[in-house]
Amino acid sequence: MTAIEVRHVSKKFGEHPAVQDLTLDVPEGSIYGFIGPNGSGKSTTIRMIMNIILPDTGTIRVLGREASSDVRDQIGYLPEERGLYKKMQVGRLLRYYGRLKGRAPADLDPVIKRWLGKLQLAGWADKRIDQLSKGMAQKVQFIAAIVAKPTLVILDEPFSGLDPVNAESLRDAVLELRREGTTIVFSTHDMLTAEKMCDRIFMIFRGSKVLDGSLDEIQAQHAQDTVRLRLSGGAAALTGLPEIESVNDHGNYQDVRLNGSPQALLQRLIQKTEVRHFEITKPSLHDIFVRIARPTDAELAGPQKVAS
Amino acid sequence: MKRVLIIAQAEFLALVRTKFFIIGILVMPVLIGGLFAFLGYADKQTDRTERHFAVLDGTGALYATLLKAAEEYNGESGEGSTQTGPHFLPENVDPAGRSAEDLRLEQSARVRRKEIFAFVEIPKSVLDPGAKEPVRYYSESTSYTRLSRWLDSTLNAEIEQRRFSTAGVDPSVVKRLTTDVDLDTFGLVERRADGTMTTAKQVDEIQRFGIPFFFLILMFMAVMSNAQHLINTIIEEKMSKISEVLLGSVSAFQLLMGKLVGIVAVSFLLSFVYLGGGIYALLQFGRPDLINVSLIGWFLVFVVCASLMFGSLFQALSSACSDLKDAQSMLQPAMMLVIVAYLASFLVMRSPDSTMAVVLSFIPTVTPFAMMQRLAMPPGPPLWQVLLSVVLLIGVTIVVVWAAGRIFRVGLLMQGKPPNLPELMRWIRR
Repeated sequence: MTAIEVRHVSKKFGEHPAVQDLTLDVPEGSIYGFIGPNGSGKSTTIRMIMNIILPDTGTIRVLGREASSDVRDQIGYLPEERGLYKKMQVGRLLRYYGRLKGRAPADLDPVIKRWLGKLQLAGWADKRIDQLSKGMAQKVQFIAAIVAKPTLVILDEPFSGLDPVNAESLRDAVLELRREGTTIVFSTHDMLTAEKMCDRIFMIFRGSKVLDGSLDEIQAQHAQDTVRLRLSGGAAALTGLPEIESVNDHGNYQDVRLNGSPQALLQRLIQKTEVRHFEITKPSLHDIFVRIARPTDAELAGPQKVAS
Repeated sequence: MKRVLIIAQAEFLALVRTKFFIIGILVMPVLIGGLFAFLGYADKQTDRTERHFAVLDGTGALYATLLKAAEEYNGESGEGSTQTGPHFLPENVDPAGRSAEDLRLEQSARVRRKEIFAFVEIPKSVLDPGAKEPVRYYSESTSYTRLSRWLDSTLNAEIEQRRFSTAGVDPSVVKRLTTDVDLDTFGLVERRADGTMTTAKQVDEIQRFGIPFFFLILMFMAVMSNAQHLINTIIEEKMSKISEVLLGSVSAFQLLMGKLVGIVAVSFLLSFVYLGGGIYALLQFGRPDLINVSLIGWFLVFVVCASLMFGSLFQALSSACSDLKDAQSMLQPAMMLVIVAYLASFLVMRSPDSTMAVVLSFIPTVTPFAMMQRLAMPPGPPLWQVLLSVVLLIGVTIVVVWAAGRIFRVGLLMQGKPPNLPELMRWIRR
């Protein structure tokens, strides 16, 4: 079953095309990662799925129905910027958001208590939002998105700005939802999180789909010979070698994209320097992302009209 | 509908729990009453100074009268801890052959040296019938008028009496002959079925102006008390993306309606508090005859329509802005509509059955104020005019709420520069 079906959807803001001919399928019960540079159209796509804004062309079906108010109650949503009333108490706010999804207060109270406890917020139900730290407020926002027990949860950058401990507890919460059968769509700039958590990954760039599939599929599509090296001479030893297309220097090691064979490179390096580590690797999601989204030389040269 | 009520409840509680509402709306009448009481008290307590003043009496006859009147006045003001006003202490200045200019210079210098507070120059001709030359009052503190007003009334009363005497007319006769006749206002009488006559009801100032003015102020408060709250919450919801979360649960129109129902409830609460206070006051002053249930009913109808119409306008315009400053500028024209309606009601109050009053009470933005004035002023407008104005008002309110919903839907998700009028019209047509 498909939780979300997007077919040939386009959306313009004025003359600026925010999303162009987008098609995607989010399988039910999966964790689906949206990645893409800032301003690439992620939030616009999410808002169209949420039926907050309407596409200019194309169709969107959510949970088997045309995206409309009929399925709103079954979707939990966490927006990119946090949507909380600063002066409202945590418990009251969560009850309010839950009631707007059609849940009775009596059903909501145990859910609120459970999730506040799980996310280390027990005892904060009577505190006002403006008394919480940023991380706490983000966790409250997450609970607000799931308090009505939705079957589909859409999280727009849920982990941004969180410290590692809070990010970990939120990741655990997302995995628990998946175990309970909830479909989860989240956008993120953290490629490692996307690699670790997502069953499928979708990348949008300048309003168009550029990646869609499982991590293995994506890596296979972008399988170019990539080598991880550790050399006694460091990155300087790689200068001017004809087998090398580009070098990503991490200091202690270098990731190298090849335009020749790895064996030829190894032979040449052995003659030049001491090779401490030589590993043929798959490109990481981060590398793939950077390859796609890196500005062109012309874009770096100066300001010009670039859809972003 | 259920979700509209959930939003309405949240809006209502959010507003009535604010310090602004509790202090500004409920405690304000107490504060204003307290302020007036304090000013009255302070007026009696703060002005207990001895006001010495010099009298340059060109007539040579009026100083004695002034001295006697001052003694009476000072006696009424009291002494010591019971003193409630100033003491006026005149002193006669003998010209001793000096010119008027010299005398003025001399007394001005005394005022500057704080020896006296002021001086008054009474021309010689002032007792002559038809004299035009004024009495002159000189002081450094010209904003202090208590002494000048007292001199004005005291001198005029004395001069008038002396002029009558000079003309051979007994002043006590004049006083008797010029006593004012009261003009009391009554409603109409009619003949009952048994042939007896009804007694005409006397209409006093409270009924003629007090009640209409009370409803006018209350209508203004009911409409305006919500405005700032609406601006603040909509801008907060928009800027912190709360509106996106809400739109993930309800439609923009449900959100708008929820907020409108919430502010109507707040207007009702406000009205009930003040109407309750007004009824209590009438009962305390022994005027239960002025409690008019149908008038209260009409008022509530107009409050609902006015709150919906102006509330939806305020919401729509706020939603089109991205910060508080823009929203306040954008709302100024809408606020002007309320203020114009409020001011127009004073024209209606002056002549409630005039053509101007009738026309004003049919203009939907003015109707809640103007028609309410006409209803509150006896005998009131014909029923057909009231019903027609209500139908027009409800019709326009529906159109305004609908258009506001269209603007709200687009505006909530818009960022950046606020739209101009043509853009707003495009949003409505979209």
